[in-house]
This record gives sequence, structure tokens and C-alpha cells, in this order.
Amino acid sequence: MAAWAAEHAAAMKNRLRDLRDKHGWSQGDLAERLEVSRQTVNAIETGKYDPSLPLAFRIAKLFRMTIEAIFEPGKE
Amino acid sequence: MSRFLPANYRLQILLLMALYIGMLLLEWPLAKRTAGLPLKTVLTLTPLLPMIAALWLIARRIMRSDELDQRVHLVALSVATGVVSALSLAGGFLAASGVVAFDGDILIWVMPALALVYVATRWIVGRRYGGMGC
Repeated sequence: MAAWAAEHAAAMKNRLRDLRDKHGWSQGDLAERLEVSRQTVNAIETGKYDPSLPLAFRIAKLFRMTIEAIFEPGKE
Repeated sequence: MSRFLPANYRLQILLLMALYIGMLLLEWPLAKRTAGLPLKTVLTLTPLLPMIAALWLIARRIMRSDELDQRVHLVALSVATGVVSALSLAGGFLAASGVVAFDGDILIWVMPALALVYVATRWIVGRRYGGMGC
């Protein structure tokens, strides 16, 4: 199970926490706006989960930024 | 689609499980004493109803989950299916070769075993992502 987790660790870095803080939103507030759970927001912010493309687009649309401005690839 | 409320979901599942256990305790002895095959069959299978309702609730809950939660459910279900399938196969081989003697009652434990492994795996995988809800 640990090997599986390591293999599937999120590969991307993101600015989600910074952007959320700038808007004065809690993780719950952001989760509600994105129609996901608070745990999903936390997992994305802590780099444990990479969002799907539709969710990444929703995040970008919410913050009025491009996906590339919010997410950047981590080490391969 | 109405909003998923974890507290409601847990209460509904608990009620259905209580109903299932209640039915087993009340109807099982009755079914064993009943002579007529049609009535015996109906009585025997009646506890399935709350179990099917619970499965429907679980499926609905998963369909209403977000992408990460659905991934966790999928992994948990895959592991549970694999483990219980392997155990069933092992049990089948042992029974077929006469190493152990099983009767039909053992089949009742397949679903609880599946549920147990599913819940345990879901907890482990959920922790990987920082802890998931029910």
C-alpha cells in the first residue's frame, strides 16, 4: 500500500493555498465554490492529489487565471 | 441533485443494518421451522431487502462523491474484491479437495468480509490523501 501511495504521489506544485488566502476563503469555502469536498481541497493544496482537467479548469476559472499560472509540474 | 449529508447517510446505513440484524434474528428461526418451500424461501430471503437498500445508498453516495473520493472508493473496492475473491478461491479449492468441510452457511460471510476489507482499505488509502470522510 505504501509503495502504491509513493508511486501515485501528486507530481504537480500549485499556488492554491496562496490564492485561497488572498480571497480570505477557508478550505470549506473554496470546496463549496468548486463543488468538491474540503478533503479534496486540502489534498490538492498539500500536493497529495493532482486535480483532473475539468477540476483544474474550474479552479482556473474561479481565480480568473490560467491553469499554468496556478499549477506547475513537479519533478518527473 | 440533492446535497450529500454524511450524518444522514450514516444514520440511514445504521438503520438499515439494524433492520437487517433484526430480521435475521426474528425471521431466521421462523424460516427454519417453516415447512412450505415457497414461504420458506420468501422468509429466508427477506433480510436481503435492507441489505440491497444499503448497497443502493452506498452506490448513490459514491456517485455523488467528488473525483478524489471516487478514486478512494474505487481502490478500496478493488482491493476488497481481490482479497475476498482470493480467499473464496482458496476456500473452494480446500473444500473441493476435502481438506476442510464447508457448508452453505459460509457464503453468508462473503459480504461482511467484503465490507470489512473495503472499509479498512478505504481508511488506509484515505489517510494517504489527508483523511477522507465516510
